[in-house]
Amino acid sequence: MLTIKNLHASVEGTPILKGINLEIKPGEVHAVMGPNGSGKSTLAQVLVGHEAFEVTEGEILFDGQNLLELEVEERALAGLFLAFQYPVEIPGVSNLQFLRTALNTLRKHHGQDELDAPSFMKLAKEKAKQVDLSPDFLKRGVNEGFSGGEKKRNEIMQMLMMEPRLGILDETDSGLDIDALKTIANGVNTLRADDRSFLVVTHYQRLLNHIVPDVVHVLANGQIIKTGDKQLAMELEEHGYGWLGINEAEAAG
Amino acid sequence: MTLAHKTPLTPLDDAFTPEGGKQLPAPLKSLRDIRSKAITGMALPNRRTENWKYSSRYLKLDPELAPQTQATGDADYRSVEGVYRLVIRNGLVDLESSALPTGDGIDIRRFADLDDVTAQSVARKLDTTLDHGTTQLAALNTARLEDGVLIRLSADTSVDQPVYIQYVTDAGASGSNYPRVMVEAGQGSKMTLVEEYISNGDQPVLVDSVSELLLDDSANITYIRLCMDPANVRHIGATGVKVGANARFDSHCIGFGGDLRRHDLQVRLEGQGGYARLNGIALTQDRQHYDNHTAIDHVVPNCDSDENYRCLAADRSHAIFNGRIHIHPDAQQSHADMNNKNLLLSTNAEIDTKPELEIYADDVTCAHGATVGQLDEGSLFYLTSRGIDRDTAATMLSMAFVHELVGQVPLEDIREAVNTRLTDFIEASFRRAAE
Amino acid sequence: MAESNKPEDFVKHEYEAGFVTDIESDTFEPGLNEDVIKRLSQIKGEPEWMLEWRLEAYRQFQEMTEPNWQKVNFDPVDLQSISYYSAPKKDTDKPQSLDEVDPELLRTYEKLGIPLHEQKALAGVAGAGTPAEAEASSEGGGAYSNVAVDAVFDSVSVVTTFKEKLAEAGVIFCSISEALQEHPELVKKYLGSVVPRGDNYFASLNSAVFSDGSFVYVPKGVKCPMELSTYFRINAENTGQFERTLIIADEGASVSYLEGCTAPQRDENQLHAAVVELVALDDAEIKYSTVQNWYPGDENGNGGIFNFVTKRGMARGRNSKISWTQVETGSAVTWKYPSCVLKGDNSVGEFYSVALTNNYQQADTGTKMIHLGKNTRSTIIAKGISAGHSDQSYRGLVKFQPTAEGARNFTQCDSLLIGDKCGAHTFPYIENKNSSATVEHEATTSKVSDEQMLFCRQRGIDPEQAVSMIVNGFCKEVFKELPMEFAVEAGKLLEVSLEGSVG
Repeated sequence: MLTIKNLHASVEGTPILKGINLEIKPGEVHAVMGPNGSGKSTLAQVLVGHEAFEVTEGEILFDGQNLLELEVEERALAGLFLAFQYPVEIPGVSNLQFLRTALNTLRKHHGQDELDAPSFMKLAKEKAKQVDLSPDFLKRGVNEGFSGGEKKRNEIMQMLMMEPRLGILDETDSGLDIDALKTIANGVNTLRADDRSFLVVTHYQRLLNHIVPDVVHVLANGQIIKTGDKQLAMELEEHGYGWLGINEAEAAG
Repeated sequence: MTLAHKTPLTPLDDAFTPEGGKQLPAPLKSLRDIRSKAITGMALPNRRTENWKYSSRYLKLDPELAPQTQATGDADYRSVEGVYRLVIRNGLVDLESSALPTGDGIDIRRFADLDDVTAQSVARKLDTTLDHGTTQLAALNTARLEDGVLIRLSADTSVDQPVYIQYVTDAGASGSNYPRVMVEAGQGSKMTLVEEYISNGDQPVLVDSVSELLLDDSANITYIRLCMDPANVRHIGATGVKVGANARFDSHCIGFGGDLRRHDLQVRLEGQGGYARLNGIALTQDRQHYDNHTAIDHVVPNCDSDENYRCLAADRSHAIFNGRIHIHPDAQQSHADMNNKNLLLSTNAEIDTKPELEIYADDVTCAHGATVGQLDEGSLFYLTSRGIDRDTAATMLSMAFVHELVGQVPLEDIREAVNTRLTDFIEASFRRAAE
Repeated sequence: MAESNKPEDFVKHEYEAGFVTDIESDTFEPGLNEDVIKRLSQIKGEPEWMLEWRLEAYRQFQEMTEPNWQKVNFDPVDLQSISYYSAPKKDTDKPQSLDEVDPELLRTYEKLGIPLHEQKALAGVAGAGTPAEAEASSEGGGAYSNVAVDAVFDSVSVVTTFKEKLAEAGVIFCSISEALQEHPELVKKYLGSVVPRGDNYFASLNSAVFSDGSFVYVPKGVKCPMELSTYFRINAENTGQFERTLIIADEGASVSYLEGCTAPQRDENQLHAAVVELVALDDAEIKYSTVQNWYPGDENGNGGIFNFVTKRGMARGRNSKISWTQVETGSAVTWKYPSCVLKGDNSVGEFYSVALTNNYQQADTGTKMIHLGKNTRSTIIAKGISAGHSDQSYRGLVKFQPTAEGARNFTQCDSLLIGDKCGAHTFPYIENKNSSATVEHEATTSKVSDEQMLFCRQRGIDPEQAVSMIVNGFCKEVFKELPMEFAVEAGKLLEVSLEGSVG
């Protein structure tokens, strides 16, 4: 589904990603772990087309399409969804309005009819419930005055609505207590399917207890230095990144 | 009504531009002559002049206010410990009464004593920090220049004690004076500059003062300005500041009103990484007037400014604040915050405020807030319920209103003196109100 | 990827109301003098006192000079090159029914989405829907459905709908020309009582030459049964439009009124200098909404309407309320300050404004809240959006006179900048002469951030729609004050104003 070949990317001339190779098959969940500053969030951002990053080398294929030729919104319509690490606030634009626009744009793209107001409301309430978000949040401005945890749940709620082909979670677990973590993991797990894949970017292993990955990659200094199964994450948790010879302070520098 | 052409304009009498400045070095004398010529016949600000909208009625300029010519008189300077003292009496530099630093790196000289090269350099820089379109009376200062002071800090000089300028005015007879100060702070230099205005006597005297401060890159100046002289003084003052890259300018302007009290503080952030903090406290009582006009120009990207002015108006007095933040085109990543809070202490007092933003760049964060209100009844009630009488309670709450800003004045002696003077002032106004 | 995806690239203006109606008109030769005013008054068959009133205004006007304190730049208006009267030709006097209205005119209004057929208009009522649905719905449509319309075409009112239905409730809604014939005592009593003849340059000009406009009188205790609205259309070339609106809500009455305006696309500037006066007596309430979409000029700043308007409401009675809501997207140059004089004790003034300027548009707009009565309250929410090379200023005055015991004001001014070539300015004047009065003023400036754009686009929303959505969100506090039908229309208008092709 997703093939990344020798991907190099930099921000304002500073190289961050230095030759990433990665292949995700339909139905797989891949975790990308790594210390702060290793480039894992950059990878997520580059995939969805963040314009602050310049791709200097390599290619990304998504369902055979050259992803790098697509605009941000075209990638979204092709089925990429990023649950942001820091979801932005959009004052005055209600969650409902935002989601309905997004969802109907997607439906239109797939040649489906737009959802009418009542069926949309029904769907939105149902999905909100799945992530323990009160329906009141739907009427509020996008992320406006939300707590950190509420923002993260809102991201997953949006993912549930949009049912992407590839869901990318960028440190979705950070700052969540165990209950919220489980709620979010449940949300993601209900979406798991043979034709849908996930890329879970995380610093810690604890999210991976609840969203069990098929493949785990360790990213350091812009490159994948080790790939394994879920055991790899456990070992990392136990021994720390130093176990792989990564100097965490240096990597973060 | 749009009847502007019907309002008679009073031109500035040529009695206001007499011969003089004979002591000045040639370059400065020539600047004086140019200004003198330019302002003769200039229309005096009236109520249609935007920056004098609320104050022109207090502006009474008459030829009788002739320039004072003697640097002697009854009024005395105040003795302050731990500072370098510079006395400017009746607009003229009084070196005899001064106690100036002697160390390397700091050069304090009368304009009259400047060598040609320095005089030329000063003449080029004088009048470059203030917009004469909005500080019309600063032009008058140059036109009537008799003497002035240059304070020059070499690069990386740190002055060990504050330089305390006392502007002493003898108001035994009516007249006017035109003090002038120019500060050039070299790269990385550091100084605290205090200006205090003092007067003695009960005749109307116009003080038209101008101070200009040029901060080179990474220079750091703390500027404290105290206007606590008696009410009969008509004081129009202007302070113009240019802030270089990574330089920092902190100002604390504290004062009481007068028959006419006007201060224009104009700060231009001209180098990236520059910072300005403008704090101000204005108190007015009786029929006093106090008009503070500030302008902060963000000329280049990546500069920050914070402004905080508070006014208290008692009795039948009139306080005015006009703060302007101007973000120039391409001055991206500017952050400017302006806050102006005002307290009306009496039914007959008036406070007018106008916090302005003029913005020509998009990637900026600018905010301003202004309030005009009264002491909180709930707090007053709470204090009185604890047995504190109402006047004392009101004084306490009024002091609390300015406490934060007084607390930011970095010199303890001045902080204490200010606290005492403010408390006396506020107590007196509540006492009178109760009578 | 495209070279740039900055928000400003998605801000383009397509003016949809820029067509010209081909209709024969009676138009005065350009020029302004006493004879023109006499002729104008004569054509309209006005009473003698009205002519005298106009001439006195003209005398005062001649003593004045054009104001220049606004932060706008434009070439002076040559008042002698303007025609002061233009009306579609007609055989009879005022048409008695729609059947007598020139079909070309009816088509014009149809094209603008303003139904002048009452049956048709009424048919739309059923589909209004709930607010939530309307918000979620992208179909506006039928905005003017349950609304009585006074249609003003150039200098004259062509038709007023629902007059009979309103008359049943005792509400008078007609053109001001007709009011001068039918209700001269009311006009005489209130005209100029809020905006005097000598108030300012363009208001004096208007007082001398106003050609038509709307008149509303809501009698004691009557809640006006439907929304009232006037739709202004400038069509003829080289004409100015000088309309005069007078709305009176008698004791305990209430009315909601909306005006809309459009003009053809032309290279020359045209002058629109209106005066609106509102009078609210004890316990009365007037809500006045404006959706202003005059032709703004092209993307190089050629042409467009000069919109120099004086609007003022007098909250004369106890507990009265005057509320201004405006959505301003049009005009090349605008200066207007819909104001409230809060004279009655406990009276309330409100001003909710969205102003969008693009290309080379300039706007200097805001409000005045003059507090005279005890416990008067006012609220100002002003949202300014600047894009392109436009320049926009909020200018406001909040004034508490010594009599305004316990008065309160809250002001919030927010600016949104789209692109780095535009300007956004705030000039709030606050004057307080009463120690028991309280005023709070806040202002902020922000931009459409790259992060917001990325977030929307990552959810598949195209950049144009994303900008429009973010801008609409920024304006929400104001839109919610508009009558439901118009909130949707206003949102769409912003969308249109921001519409354009990518690149």
